[in-house]
Amino acid sequence: MDSNSAAFTLLDHTADLGIMVTGSDLRDLFEKAAHSMMQIMIQERSTGKTSSLQLSVSGEDYADLIVRWLGEILYLFQGEDKIVTCAEISSISQSHINATLQTVPFNPKQHEVLTEIKAVTYHRIEVICENGCWKATIIFDL
Amino acid sequence: MTIKLEQVDDYRWLIPRTGAMRVPGLVFADRDLMKSIQEDQSLTQVANVATLPGIVGHSLAMPDIHWGYGFPIGGVAAFDLHKGIVSPGGVGYDINCGCRLMTTVLRADEIRPLIKEMVLALFKNIPSGVGSTGTVHLSKSKETEVAVKGAAWAVKMGFGTAEDLERTEDRGAMEGADPSVLSERAIKRGQNQLGTLGSGNHFLEIQVVDQIYDREKASHFNLFEGQITILIHSGSRGFGHQICDDFLKMMIKSDANGQKSFILPDRQLACAPLESDLARRYLAGMACAANYAWANRQILMHLTLETLLKTLSIRPEELGSKLLYDVCHNIAKKEQHLVDGEQVMLCVHRKGATRALPPGHPLLPEIYRTVGQPVLIPGDMGTNSYILAGAEGAMEHSFGSCCHGAGRILSRTRAVKNAKGRAIHRELEDKGIFVQSRGKRTLKEEMPEAYKDVSQVVDVVHGAGLALKVARLRPLGVIKG
Repeated sequence: MDSNSAAFTLLDHTADLGIMVTGSDLRDLFEKAAHSMMQIMIQERSTGKTSSLQLSVSGEDYADLIVRWLGEILYLFQGEDKIVTCAEISSISQSHINATLQTVPFNPKQHEVLTEIKAVTYHRIEVICENGCWKATIIFDL
Repeated sequence: MTIKLEQVDDYRWLIPRTGAMRVPGLVFADRDLMKSIQEDQSLTQVANVATLPGIVGHSLAMPDIHWGYGFPIGGVAAFDLHKGIVSPGGVGYDINCGCRLMTTVLRADEIRPLIKEMVLALFKNIPSGVGSTGTVHLSKSKETEVAVKGAAWAVKMGFGTAEDLERTEDRGAMEGADPSVLSERAIKRGQNQLGTLGSGNHFLEIQVVDQIYDREKASHFNLFEGQITILIHSGSRGFGHQICDDFLKMMIKSDANGQKSFILPDRQLACAPLESDLARRYLAGMACAANYAWANRQILMHLTLETLLKTLSIRPEELGSKLLYDVCHNIAKKEQHLVDGEQVMLCVHRKGATRALPPGHPLLPEIYRTVGQPVLIPGDMGTNSYILAGAEGAMEHSFGSCCHGAGRILSRTRAVKNAKGRAIHRELEDKGIFVQSRGKRTLKEEMPEAYKDVSQVVDVVHGAGLALKVARLRPLGVIKG
């Protein structure tokens, strides 16, 4: 994931917000999902001193894994005031992800919050592979 | 999925049992509201909730129902304590999101020229918006105390009076709160957010009572035409969100491990049997968040009072402020209800639904014993809000529950599209409503057209006898996160 790789469609949901993300493979899908979520939330994310951290996430299946993966990235913002600017997945399986994240500290004067995502939900969560293309549907709580 | 509907009477629609549904669904709506309800997925969600084990009576929906995640927003479901479940998705992320309404002795015609000044001062003094931090920083031990004592902690710290607790649902502290079940993350997120309004649909509003429907009840509620009231809508902030998220993930895991003997139609309905340790721990954590929310609204009210006294340069007796009531609308509670002629304890989930106890109910404080519980129904920033009184019909038909607001009809994305090129704040100002908002998109996302007509929603609960109209409130000034 880098800051120029947005690839998602907004889905209409009465109370909240949904996205559909596509990727050439699982790694691409999960990286793009992370980038899409951050792009919806924050404008001009790259401003600030960059730090790097390792993230490992486990889940029951792809759908659970993507909720927990995005949930961890969201928590970094909500609980640690860190904006993820880049996520590179080094390994991914049905139940586990290892990744390196680049973050900058959240500064309300520099980073405009476009939409406050409060949680990544399991509602209608889906990760599927169709004709060799990976697709995920995710609904966020706003 | 098409949902079959049978009209029961002017205000009720039955969703007959089909497939895995254990009970029928029952939706409170008039014909017109039902048309908009059918446009999203909320009726499917009512049917999905009906498949959960131990559900009693009907899977219910109030007239402000709209598409949520898992449970519909405006959903009410009661579960048997032995055969039933508890679902964090049936409470929602913002545990004990709710409203409190404060009356004053000020008259709108006296202070109208000062409304802008009041709104600007409130906007400055009350922390709001994304990631806003509060007036109170909590050490871990203090946070534990807030989680157990709720609004009483805030009163002890000087934010209000003991009389406020009388006028708060559950006296502002739910029993069974146990901070030892909370994650480090939840504790951390709660430390800086007490005394903050939040963002999204949370708001603080200066209003005027512009119509009285029931003079006797209005007088009991200390309401008169032309009176200034203040409505606060907020919840348990990041603390409650984290607690919901933590337990939802635990319940998803136990479900994936095959501990359940039924199929969830939607993973967000993940749940645990009420007799399990996981359910006990969730309810203990949920109560912590509920108590945090009551302390939060207590502090927000105090900040509001201080700001108004200073801005208007008046003495407390000239403001004459009094809490009318504080109600939550995202909660699961163990309550006694009449089922098939027998009084039984049930776990009632209210996700976007307000408790509405009728006159004489033993849980009511003495002051409201003869008139019924004040039911607060906020509109959106451009339309009216209502005060109702709980009625007997709620105990007969909806496990003592009523609607909680107008209910969205437009998604936030569509609302922003519809508002393109429009100055919503100016449109509201033309209607006599001065608004200050922190988020750039908030006013567009929350514009009046994004919501159902709250008057229509309130007419349904009044007509169905769940709660009776007492007074209507018109907004004069609003602060949004």
